[in-house]
Amino acid sequence: MTFISDTYYMFLRWMKKLVRNPILLFFSLFQPIIFLLLFTQLFSSFGVLLGVNYTLFATAGIVLQNAFSSAFQSGTAIVDDIKSGFLAKILATPASRASILLGRLLSDAFRVFAQSLIILLLAYGLGVFPATGILGYILILVTVAFFGLAWSGISLALGLRTKSAETVFGIAGTLTFPLLFMSTALMKPQLMPTWMQNVSAYNPISFAVNAIRDLIMTGYVWNSFSQAYGVISLIAVLTLGATLYEFRKVVS
Amino acid sequence: MPAVQVENLVKTYGDGTQAVKGISFKVDEGEFFGFLGPNGAGKSTTIKILTTLLRKTSGLANVAGHDIEHDPQKVRKLIGVQMQDTVIDEDLTGRENLTLQGHLHQMHGEELKERVNTLLKIVDLENAADKRSAYYSGGMKKRLDLASTLVHRPKILFLDEPTTGLDPQSRATVWSYLKELNQEGITIFITTQYLEEVDRLCRRLAILDHGEIVAQGSPSDLKSEIGADRITLGFENGNPGAGALKDKAKQVLSNLGGITEVVDSDEGIVIYVKNGGFLVPDIVRAFDGAGIKLASIGVSSPTLDDVFLKHTGRRIRPEEIDKSRASGMFGRRRR
Repeated sequence: MTFISDTYYMFLRWMKKLVRNPILLFFSLFQPIIFLLLFTQLFSSFGVLLGVNYTLFATAGIVLQNAFSSAFQSGTAIVDDIKSGFLAKILATPASRASILLGRLLSDAFRVFAQSLIILLLAYGLGVFPATGILGYILILVTVAFFGLAWSGISLALGLRTKSAETVFGIAGTLTFPLLFMSTALMKPQLMPTWMQNVSAYNPISFAVNAIRDLIMTGYVWNSFSQAYGVISLIAVLTLGATLYEFRKVVS
Repeated sequence: MPAVQVENLVKTYGDGTQAVKGISFKVDEGEFFGFLGPNGAGKSTTIKILTTLLRKTSGLANVAGHDIEHDPQKVRKLIGVQMQDTVIDEDLTGRENLTLQGHLHQMHGEELKERVNTLLKIVDLENAADKRSAYYSGGMKKRLDLASTLVHRPKILFLDEPTTGLDPQSRATVWSYLKELNQEGITIFITTQYLEEVDRLCRRLAILDHGEIVAQGSPSDLKSEIGADRITLGFENGNPGAGALKDKAKQVLSNLGGITEVVDSDEGIVIYVKNGGFLVPDIVRAFDGAGIKLASIGVSSPTLDDVFLKHTGRRIRPEEIDKSRASGMFGRRRR
């Protein structure tokens, strides 16, 4: 199966590139760490209002926010490959076309996985330990990685369509905070204005956050977990479909 | 079996531009084939089609015995492609760049390791093999790029301006590699601006202009087709352009015998004539009589440059082309 080995080598290439540009990792981890260390302190009195420890409450949101913004960088990487001609160089080899995308997507998922682990370890230092224990950690990381994979599809599709890193960055930057604030990432819906409650109820980030928050604060809640996977799968199908569509246009 | 066979190849882009207008040519196995033409003539488009990176609009194209549309995977296994810009992953080392190419061609283990070592030795990058290629010089990057197209031992090598932008020494090195590769039996299909090397190395060439092949044959045949020496006339106030001076000069020349062809050029006027040396005094006298001042007059036997000029009305100027080069593969279309 050359598809599997091709995917592996594409994945490996991205991992090497990531590890060799630690500054990128630093910048993408900087924001969630600031959130974790400062934001949770600043808003610790929310915890009183919410009747919970706010750091414990916000960890799920911060982990998701990191996945969201990291995955959104994926499109800029593909733009680089298009501009430099590297994509064309790979396309001139017999490498499986699908492996080019899948290798990138898996590297995004792995990156989100690793970054989330770092955030969770820091959170552990602040007293956050999932109610579901070690297995909970694994489930959280897998869920976040899946979420990251689904989101990076949007970024890839945008990159392939616009062939402009600035556009991808611009859209990512514009979407991050509105989507984050209008979700349950940092606040319980009961404390939001009604219109925002409605938005947040349909915000895909909320579904993922709720599932992870349950794993951290409550335990295994089948309902939130299955809903999250349903919503993320739906996003994945849509975004990866769009990516495939745009990729075909570039390739032919 | 020809290495490349193209019949009535047409490429029309989505916006209606016809980049390639039904060209036909053949490259034999083991040939060193030059594919020349001014910027925008359709060279890169043709190369992209032949290397399966772009879909043709119509016509037939076989590469290494396989139809590019029906069997692109088979074609890809047998060709090596070097793009106009140097394309390597600068985050990876030289060795990693080559190994990746090998992996994508289903090469593995010891065989690949040895192949990579051999290539690193050939392109003289052994000492820098494990350094990140971002730190390589321009010439080293180009050599690595070339090596990366050879990992899987291709039968045909497509090169789009492989030496453009290189210093003369690196350029000579690349040309000598290409010569060796060709001697080993690899078919070379090359576009370049360096006509001297084409003259020296290419067994045959085709000249493309406005999407059509305007001449093809061996360098010596094409040169003897001109069948005349070249006299270049330069005028005092520089290039007279399409102005009155040039017209007047042409009129004077039309009264002289033995002239095969008069062509406008950037430097002034180029005349093709048998036994050019004998005509020089006549030209000088005639121009003196007409009151046209000549700044320079030069006589030479025909070169590929003349062949190019004759068929395209333009000269190739590598330096200028360097600057105007677009950077993207899919970004800006090069025809």
